[in-house]
Amino acid sequence: MRGGSGEIGTLGEQTGQPFVRPAAQLVGERPEPTRRCHPSYAIGPLHAVGPRVTGVELHHGAATDVGLVREVNEDAFLVAPPVFVVADGMGGHDRGDIASAIVVEEFRRLADEGYDPARGPAVVAETFLGCQARIADYDAGQRAQGARDFHAGTTAVVALLIEQSGEPKWLLANLGDSRVYKYNHGRLEQVSVDHSLVQELVDAGTITASDALVHPERHVITRALGGSGSTDADFFVLPLSAAERLVLCSDGVSGMIDDRHIEGILAAAEDPRDAADQMVAAAVAAGGRDNATAVVVDVVGLVAETPYDSERQRVSLEEKLGALP
Amino acid sequence: MSRSVSTWSYRPGEWVAIFGAATTLLLPDSEKQRAAQLWELVDGGAGFDATLDQLLAPGLSVLPAFVLIGTDEGPTKVIVRGAGVRATLTTDAESVELDGSTVTTWVERTLEGVTSLSVSVGGAGADGPDYLIDGGLVRVARVDHPPHAAPAASGAPEEAPAAAVAAPVVVPAPEDDAVEEPEVGADLPEVDAVPDAAIAADDAATELFSIDEPSPLDDEADTSSVSPPAFDPMPEDGPTPDPSGMVWAPDAPSASPMAPPPPPPFPGAVPAADHDGMTRAGVTGDDVGPTPPGIPGQPQAPSVTRPVATLVISNGESVEVDRVVLIGRAPEARRFTATEQPRLVTVPSPLHEISSTHVEVRPGSGVDHGSAVVTDMGSTNGTVLVQPGLEPEELQPGIAVQLIPGAIINLGDGVTIQVMNP
Repeated sequence: MRGGSGEIGTLGEQTGQPFVRPAAQLVGERPEPTRRCHPSYAIGPLHAVGPRVTGVELHHGAATDVGLVREVNEDAFLVAPPVFVVADGMGGHDRGDIASAIVVEEFRRLADEGYDPARGPAVVAETFLGCQARIADYDAGQRAQGARDFHAGTTAVVALLIEQSGEPKWLLANLGDSRVYKYNHGRLEQVSVDHSLVQELVDAGTITASDALVHPERHVITRALGGSGSTDADFFVLPLSAAERLVLCSDGVSGMIDDRHIEGILAAAEDPRDAADQMVAAAVAAGGRDNATAVVVDVVGLVAETPYDSERQRVSLEEKLGALP
Repeated sequence: MSRSVSTWSYRPGEWVAIFGAATTLLLPDSEKQRAAQLWELVDGGAGFDATLDQLLAPGLSVLPAFVLIGTDEGPTKVIVRGAGVRATLTTDAESVELDGSTVTTWVERTLEGVTSLSVSVGGAGADGPDYLIDGGLVRVARVDHPPHAAPAASGAPEEAPAAAVAAPVVVPAPEDDAVEEPEVGADLPEVDAVPDAAIAADDAATELFSIDEPSPLDDEADTSSVSPPAFDPMPEDGPTPDPSGMVWAPDAPSASPMAPPPPPPFPGAVPAADHDGMTRAGVTGDDVGPTPPGIPGQPQAPSVTRPVATLVISNGESVEVDRVVLIGRAPEARRFTATEQPRLVTVPSPLHEISSTHVEVRPGSGVDHGSAVVTDMGSTNGTVLVQPGLEPEELQPGIAVQLIPGAIINLGDGVTIQVMNP
């Protein structure tokens, strides 16, 4: 992220695009490893309409590390309750760090200015379009300066609170191969579905999930912000009770340590700050081949739902439907 | 070309060829069952489109290698799919080669004035003798129209001598069993959204634009004017892989001018080495292949329609079925798009007999259009449906059942849902 903020400022002048956030507010400009924590955030009314929830708090932790191989941390994250983002910039020389920082800026603005919690998916889709336009402007500016074939890009996973039928819920959005997991009653479950070549091969039954972990094309993603691909995000809505803990991470974490390892860390680390730190540290210890970023959000104060049937139900559906396609 | 003046020749081989009046269909040996199903259709004189429809009916994910040739009135249409499957079409002006190896879906060509047509599918028998056939089902390695050796028996007066034009087909040694052709892209709902870079380069650009149009948010009129720079095809540049391998993949349109690479495992994926665990984007412009949301094997629900029913829940709540409605103790909505947000309806379940996401009710599609359909989402304790005048039935998980007004859905724990007209 070194120098990243300065370049964005320059970009704004080039393209004439106004920047709402001063560059100094970019996330990730601190020396790595970065750790930003706010001990807790009580869900007040959301800025616009706002579900009225009392007695529920969001606790969160976040960590990022450049890893052992890469020179630049192109990951960025946002913790601006009730909005959380992880973005994994792509492009190396093409400055994926700028693209991921743009995503964080745009969602920080959303968190600061407030949003209509009843229009969750539309709000997020509009924000993605704004990101896409700014990244395109940035590309155009670079190309105008002679950088041929310039394409910055980034993944994005977003978790934010919305309101549906008068109740607060988690809205999750995904573009690319960063992930959202939910952790409940000691079990970790991936919620987002990677937009990646290997995921599609797995879905098609061409390779197995374990093949995917070592597939040579496992880093090829099929949707992203920036560039020409689809920017249609997948959305998910979870009741708050479905996840006592949400995890957002870049593939520098999920690609280095497996889900069981993450589950173990989440089980052992009660404080979400420790959980995020340990996830990133474990990814680096496992080789650190990519930038590693994790955001962990706990919902505190809900009446706990018993696990009852959620896992049995999932297994049951898969069995009854005759395994997976 | 029509049947009356056409006769084929074939060389015996491993594939199954069905010669009909209007179409000719070739399928690999492994597809005997499918060939049997299609035999009646093709032999009965079905046209190109009808045959293709039927061929695709079981779904794209199980689509085998095949060759489909339409020789009815009008231009000749040919589709080839699969490794080692080649077709050569000759007109007075040109000779066109189609190669099924280079694509993940298929290669299609429509040509006027075809004077000869030759298809080889590889495998043993490619060099064998030619036999004449006018209709029927045989095993082949190669077929020619008009007949390759053009014996006197063949009546094709207006055709050029076949031997002169059908010769230059080189039968490639099959690198692979054609049936095992990777069918990655075949999983997607939109068949022709995966253009062959070599043949349909222009289509690729078109597809990209149409798909990237931010239609869900049309009210944002200015966004579409902002977006195009991102899709600048920059044909003069082409995709120049960064020496470090760290540059993410460029636009799909810019990839088009390149010579087609050896068949990638996935359309649009850049077959470059990955050096450092770096995330890269594929050049797919479209959303290729992710499993669609909803229930496997079920048609996609339309996003939002006019209400087709009203659900009156025993707790007094009333819900319109104008989109997907998910009902349960703590329902979750999985993988939807920005414009089709499902309605989540939470029902009380003090005894926890109701699963977190218990049933889905949505506007029906296809034959169920205009009605609501209910699907048990794999609930633990099941769902009982009582339709007016019918015995109560236990819903099979994942199987949608059309709802008649007056039906009652019983979720357990004392929660029932009555289906009313909207």
